[in-house]
Amino acid sequence: MHAPEVSFLPPDKITVMRGRVLDLLEKRGVQMEHPEVTRRLAEAGATVDGETSNVRFPASFMEEVLARAPKRVELFGRDGARRLEVPRPEGGFLLRTGTGAHGYVDPETGSYRKATAADAAAWARLADGLDEVDFCAFPFVDGVPVPSADLHGLMAILSNTRKHAWIQPYTAESVEYLLNLAAAAAGGEQALRDAPRVSVIATALTPFSVKFMDLEVIRLAARFGVPVHACSLPSAAGTAPITMPATVLMAATEILAMLAAAQVMEPAVPVIATPLVFALDMRTGRGLQSSVEAMQGAAAAVQLMKQGFGLPTHTYGSGTDSPVPDGQSMAERALLGLLTGLARADILGGAGQLEVATAISPVQLCIDDELAAMIRRLLRGLEVDDDTLAWDELSAAAPGGHFLAAQHTLRHCREGFLPKLFTRLPRDAWEAKGEGDLAARARERCGALLSEPAPEPLPEDARREMAAVVAAADRRLAGTG
Amino acid sequence: MALDDIYDSILGFDAERTSELVRAELAAGTEVRAILDEALIAAMDEVGAQFSEGVLFVPEMLMAAMAMKAGLEILRPHLSESEAKPAGVVVIGTVKGDMHDIGKSLVGMMLEGSGFQVIDLGIDVPAERFLAAAEEHQADIVGLSALLTTTMPAMQATVARLRERNAGPRIIVGGAPVNRDFAQRIGADGYGEDAPGAVALARRLVADR
Repeated sequence: MHAPEVSFLPPDKITVMRGRVLDLLEKRGVQMEHPEVTRRLAEAGATVDGETSNVRFPASFMEEVLARAPKRVELFGRDGARRLEVPRPEGGFLLRTGTGAHGYVDPETGSYRKATAADAAAWARLADGLDEVDFCAFPFVDGVPVPSADLHGLMAILSNTRKHAWIQPYTAESVEYLLNLAAAAAGGEQALRDAPRVSVIATALTPFSVKFMDLEVIRLAARFGVPVHACSLPSAAGTAPITMPATVLMAATEILAMLAAAQVMEPAVPVIATPLVFALDMRTGRGLQSSVEAMQGAAAAVQLMKQGFGLPTHTYGSGTDSPVPDGQSMAERALLGLLTGLARADILGGAGQLEVATAISPVQLCIDDELAAMIRRLLRGLEVDDDTLAWDELSAAAPGGHFLAAQHTLRHCREGFLPKLFTRLPRDAWEAKGEGDLAARARERCGALLSEPAPEPLPEDARREMAAVVAAADRRLAGTG
Repeated sequence: MALDDIYDSILGFDAERTSELVRAELAAGTEVRAILDEALIAAMDEVGAQFSEGVLFVPEMLMAAMAMKAGLEILRPHLSESEAKPAGVVVIGTVKGDMHDIGKSLVGMMLEGSGFQVIDLGIDVPAERFLAAAEEHQADIVGLSALLTTTMPAMQATVARLRERNAGPRIIVGGAPVNRDFAQRIGADGYGEDAPGAVALARRLVADR
């Protein structure tokens, strides 16, 4: 079946851009502040400037890194179940919830508050129950010690969903605690390595730099056997040039530098290329994720990473610049999801997020679940064969006839996508039913899902160990308890 | 009128032309005060207003500020001691743990364009450094910037540390995750929602001292 796709970059431009990325890596390089990582890179053939920590990567070195880099990554849910393959063998994408948001839009009242640990737990339970969501990330939790907030966030996710969990670490000091927490939840370091229950994000400091913390993420991820999403978040006109192709070059360069770092670890850690493209609003200087240009940049970045470098790729496929889950939010995320899905991204992230990824909304997450199902269907494409061309039926048809009672129709009548949340009622019936608009229906679905029993708790010894890890983090990072 | 030409060249984002015209005006014997107030500062006021209205975009505002600064540099040696006194002394920086500096730098440039002396401490600045710089430079105002939610507590801690000194500088805060509510809660003297907002705020606070 022909899989539809969108292309912002024709093959000759991909070739040009690929060459430019390698040029940047070779001539300009990326600053990497981590003595052990740069030592390993130097040993492997990169050129490290001892004073500036700038690392330049010869083209031949990078080609080898790219050749050796795993092109498939496996992620797991609880107990080694719910295996996810990146890229999906059947095509399409995995869906990830928004991460790191500090705001929470209450599903019942629509009011805004700082996300709490209880909200994070509810978020995880919702993600657990929504069919299209593949993995769940934690918000920035308020009401806990700040230096260990990420621990509390991860705890809420691991305890409330059976699906794969995503770790966005906030400080260098918390990384090891976070991975220990994941190991405790998985039943030990070996269990975690065998079937990674979590994957973790390392982020570049655009332009052209990777901090110690993020290289520690890569180093520790290698030790624990946990895949890394190597992420670049360029802002066009801010930390990257204003034009999107340049922004895409910046992201690719930084991601490949992190890939090289991941490859010189022992064992090498699998990497998912994660360009998250932003554009600065020229009227205010504020970063946007769903401007027209950011969407184009996202699709182009996906294309370059996949077609230019053959890497599994992850980008924002949901989200809005609107602070509320309104019509603008729906329009922006639908456009973004479709574009990046058609660009053949392997993972689409940001489900449920609002206000440039600074807030999450359970109601929006429920709607995004529906949108993801639709986009997945759309991406399947159309089969063109004798049956779908209905040649016999067409040949036998005559004016005044219909196809409703045809055998052919009967055979196919249950294949169409059936929405859970979108309505198809005409006005009178819709009014009579009284179920309200999309937001109202999503609210109801959210409520229903949240009133379902929580997933079975983890085994008692796992829970005890997890609590101990979080307590240790509170004590040593936050000096409390 | 020639002062209008200087005004226009700032609004035309032309640093070179601004410098030339200021030089020419000085040579022609025009009053230094007039050049400063009626051309340079008046132009930046207009830039700020147009930016707040959404007529001018950020890069244009920055270029205008740079043009103004270029003109000011030509004027500087000719300013009397009182005229040379800046509108105020502002220490700015991004708080500890935060590496983001674009917004802060934008504010710094706008403040300089409006006649303030700006000491930019850069990024990842601990409270102690803000304190030391504020004391060393006798700052009227300390401006704190943060982009990450996770560094807002550092902003709070910095405000608290600065407050431990009596009669310290006024403190203003800004950045994507910050809002008026938060600013009030942590005891800041003001919140700037954007760069011109920060300038207006700075002017008000200096006037009130």
